Amino acid sequence: MVKRKLGALEKVEADLPNLQHKIRRDPKSYIEDFRAQHYQYESHREIFMAAPASTTETGLISLRELIDFLAHVADCYPQITKEFPQQLIDILSQHHLILQPELREKIVGSLVLLRKKELLDSATLLQTLFPILISTPSKTLRALVFQKILMDLRSSNAKATNHKLNRIMQTVLFNLVTSDRTSSKGLWAIKLTRELWKRQIWSDAKAVEVMKEASLAQNEKVVVGGVRFFLGGDKEREEMEDESSDDEAIDMGQVRHQAGINKKTRSNARAVAKARAAVKKKERKKSQPHPLNFSALHLLHDPQGYAESLFSKHLQNTKSKLNLDQKLLVLQLITRLVGLHKLHIMHLYSYFQKYLTPRQPSVTSFLASLAQASHDLVPPDDLEPLVQKIANEFVSEASASEVASAGLNAIREICARQPLAMNETLLQDLVMYRKSKDKGVMMAGRGLLSLFREVGPEMLKRRDRGKDASIGLRSGDRKEKRFAEEAAGGIEGLELLEKYKDEERRKKRREAGLPSDGEDDEDEEANWDAWNVDDDEDSDDSGDWVNVQSDVEIDFSDSEDEKDGPPSKKAKSKSTEESKDEDAPAEDKEEESAEAKFSKLATTRILTPADLAKLQELRTEAAVNALVPGAKGRQANQNATRHRDDPLTAEEIEGLAALSAGKQTREERIAHAREGKTEQHKSVTAKRKERKEDQGKSTTNKEKARRKNFLMTLGKAKSKNKRSLVQTRAVLKAHADRARRGGRRGNVGCVN
Amino acid sequence: MGSSAKRKKEKQKDFQKPKLRVGKAKAKPENFTDTSFKSKGITLNQQSLTLNAPTTTTQFTHHLSLLTSKSDSQRRDSLAHLTTHISSKPSTAPLPTPVSTLLPTLSPLILDANSGVRTNLLKLLRALPAADVADHVVQLMPYIRAGMTHLAPDIRVTAVDILSWLLGIAGEEVVGCAGGWIKTLNCFLSVLGWHTEESAKWSANRAAFGKAGAKGRPMVRVVGVLGEFLDAGVGEVEGDVVMGGKVGDGGGGAGVPVVQMETHMVAKAAQPYVYLNLFGSPRDEEGEMYETREERWRVFQGRFLGPVERGLESARQEGGEVGRASTTVTKVLKEAIEYGRGVGYDA
Repeated sequence: MVKRKLGALEKVEADLPNLQHKIRRDPKSYIEDFRAQHYQYESHREIFMAAPASTTETGLISLRELIDFLAHVADCYPQITKEFPQQLIDILSQHHLILQPELREKIVGSLVLLRKKELLDSATLLQTLFPILISTPSKTLRALVFQKILMDLRSSNAKATNHKLNRIMQTVLFNLVTSDRTSSKGLWAIKLTRELWKRQIWSDAKAVEVMKEASLAQNEKVVVGGVRFFLGGDKEREEMEDESSDDEAIDMGQVRHQAGINKKTRSNARAVAKARAAVKKKERKKSQPHPLNFSALHLLHDPQGYAESLFSKHLQNTKSKLNLDQKLLVLQLITRLVGLHKLHIMHLYSYFQKYLTPRQPSVTSFLASLAQASHDLVPPDDLEPLVQKIANEFVSEASASEVASAGLNAIREICARQPLAMNETLLQDLVMYRKSKDKGVMMAGRGLLSLFREVGPEMLKRRDRGKDASIGLRSGDRKEKRFAEEAAGGIEGLELLEKYKDEERRKKRREAGLPSDGEDDEDEEANWDAWNVDDDEDSDDSGDWVNVQSDVEIDFSDSEDEKDGPPSKKAKSKSTEESKDEDAPAEDKEEESAEAKFSKLATTRILTPADLAKLQELRTEAAVNALVPGAKGRQANQNATRHRDDPLTAEEIEGLAALSAGKQTREERIAHAREGKTEQHKSVTAKRKERKEDQGKSTTNKEKARRKNFLMTLGKAKSKNKRSLVQTRAVLKAHADRARRGGRRGNVGCVN
Repeated sequence: MGSSAKRKKEKQKDFQKPKLRVGKAKAKPENFTDTSFKSKGITLNQQSLTLNAPTTTTQFTHHLSLLTSKSDSQRRDSLAHLTTHISSKPSTAPLPTPVSTLLPTLSPLILDANSGVRTNLLKLLRALPAADVADHVVQLMPYIRAGMTHLAPDIRVTAVDILSWLLGIAGEEVVGCAGGWIKTLNCFLSVLGWHTEESAKWSANRAAFGKAGAKGRPMVRVVGVLGEFLDAGVGEVEGDVVMGGKVGDGGGGAGVPVVQMETHMVAKAAQPYVYLNLFGSPRDEEGEMYETREERWRVFQGRFLGPVERGLESARQEGGEVGRASTTVTKVLKEAIEYGRGVGYDA
């Protein structure tokens, strides 16, 4: 008897994946099978609902597999599976505490899958998952749900911002944080918001509001989470952006080259197309304007009220449960807010009084916070006793050198922000420390001196003032800054642009053979025609009136870029107005020379987009140059490069204290010298070789010969021994000849 | 050169593979250590030595626990053991464990992959006392329904067999329990493929998925059981007559002028108020209880009469065993339609 042959399908008893595959291809034919499986699922669900906690695996097919199957093919039979998502939601939200972990994860995954197939909307999904995230005690489920929520929010914001969904979610988070201030559930709101902030999906005031409420909570963890967000969230966002921009650098040339050499397959072709699309997308992204994202600190509503309530709730309140580190974080946030928004909190400075002793743990952080909290609108009366106290407690011959240098640095940082906090006698005393034997103290003293040479030389002794300051004082250039006096503003880096333009013009003239200092108006005019519609002198005083010239002239001037023509008219009239407003207060006599130049450029010209781009470039260049050690001192550079938003850290206050830590041991010195260097010494050739290999360049013939397998060379070596004299001569001759010609292929086509 | 060749050979000897031969013992490796030993007696430290054999009750519970074992044969043997135990004991003696604790472990076995297990299960179920099972129909039905729609045809057939058994002992409970009517009928239609007009045709190009099972036979069986099911649900009920008699008895026997006393007493069913559904989740239309013939007929006529008639027609046309089976169903259906006319629901 011959055995009956079994078809592949007959062998399998119950193969849901197989059925799933068949249904995907032809949903109509398999509707009966699907219906059967749906009833099967219904029965299993019934069994399950009767005893949700039981762990009986029923035979071949479990509820989990059925759910998986249904979720995968649900989109083929929307009528039959109408209730399926809701059933899953019910199971999950009612029984998530007692479900088997695998089933639970499968249900979450299936819900997300249904969301992807659009059988379920995002809001419902999030409203299902979020309560579970908060309430479940299982760590793995929390991680899974968190990841899914995040993914869903990301994907629904991928193409365009889904404002509705974001608003719903933000409201949910806000309510979570504000409803119960003592519970630690707010941590989830923080985690979610921070993650979305980092990815720039949420960058609006509402998200910041959530964090603000979190930092005003009563639970320590929540408070710290909220505070940390304000202190580090923006930096994290920037880093993330940097990472994402430079991670996928595709070398298009290499890809194309490889595609030319390797076997031509469809998948290869696809990979090339993909790479091309990626590069194109990246380029497009590069040309797009940078998204204007405000930092969280700037998006706060009512920073004054916020800072005050933070201060009174966490720092002044004696019942606050925060420990010192947490308090320091809060203090950092408050002082940053004060410095950035120029706030005034009544008792903040007296609060510091208690902590300014060298014995206080992490006193440098307190010092940094104090410096951060001082700005030019703080009454000097508030700061003066603090400065005095720092000087008394920290800076003395008797105190340790690290302590003294930290104190001096702190005083310098305070005075850099509010010079009026210093009095003459104290300053003259402190400046004497520049003669200290200890290097750290000496540097700190010098820093203070150079600061006051700039901001208040008349407070220094005559011999300490330095050349520039003395000359300035004598000629009356320098004037003491009064309390709350505002300097006239300008466009940062405009003088750089002016200089650059001047140089360019000279170069052009030199090339043309003209004296480099002469004027060439017509050239300039031509340049401006490219951008301006009408370039006549009276437009400056005509304000928002625009003289319309004859049609011919307009046509002519529009010829180069038609699109920019009409709006530029408006832009021009507007910008002239603005620039006028700008230099109205700038007519101070003593700043005549510098200011005159600037006003000339800003008022006589309109800065084209090209100019603005150049301006930006010059600015960054100047910033980079400032970092290179050169003529200017390091201290001045530090102040120049610091942005107003950047925090002041304890390390900066400690400063060069490391120098005053005494002599290093030999080992320390060696370790210090070795810090930045690579491990092993390598010869120049080895380095070159490595670089060559990295670049993917080929090897020389010599190298190939050297690397050739020994056994392959044996035959030739043997026969070489047996060669006759004549043969040897012929070979040598041929070799010499070849060398003269330049190899087997010769030097044909070579230039030399 | 000679010496080098010799050395080569010597070296090669070290790396030669030992030849393995069929029927011969494997050569021992050189570093083999003989660990065998001889001893006059072996003492085991931990061993339970009970002199008396386990009682039948403990054996029974032990085998009951073995029903969830991983091995097929173990489950099968345990089922067989339980069956013999139940059938061999005097019928007046109670079971070692009540049916209510037996059924939760037995019912998942309806979906067991092994056919031997399922056959033995059916035997065991038949051995159970009918009156006890009738109270637990509700728990059994979801498993039967799951079995009827299972991917594997053999399991479907077993489930239908079990349903047939259950109808035999507790037909009224099966059709009257929550979800017992509509859901089960749905399953029947799905098994027979009678849901849509297109799929009911014998010529329908229905892609059959999975193992077909023995040709034709299952279909006959399913149609037969469908007949039984419909008979229990909407067929002629002798209960009417019986009830009339009972009423008469109740009235006459007590001698009190209370007519139909039975109706005013607490019902004798195990769960008399289950239809109120006090503790369960709210039921939808499909999961509702349909306790009277009239209700069932109304639902059946509205939802299933069309497809069933259509399916029966095509089965009749097919002829053969299936056709013969279909005529019995048709008979039941005709009676039901007659009844429906009487109640006032026209087909």
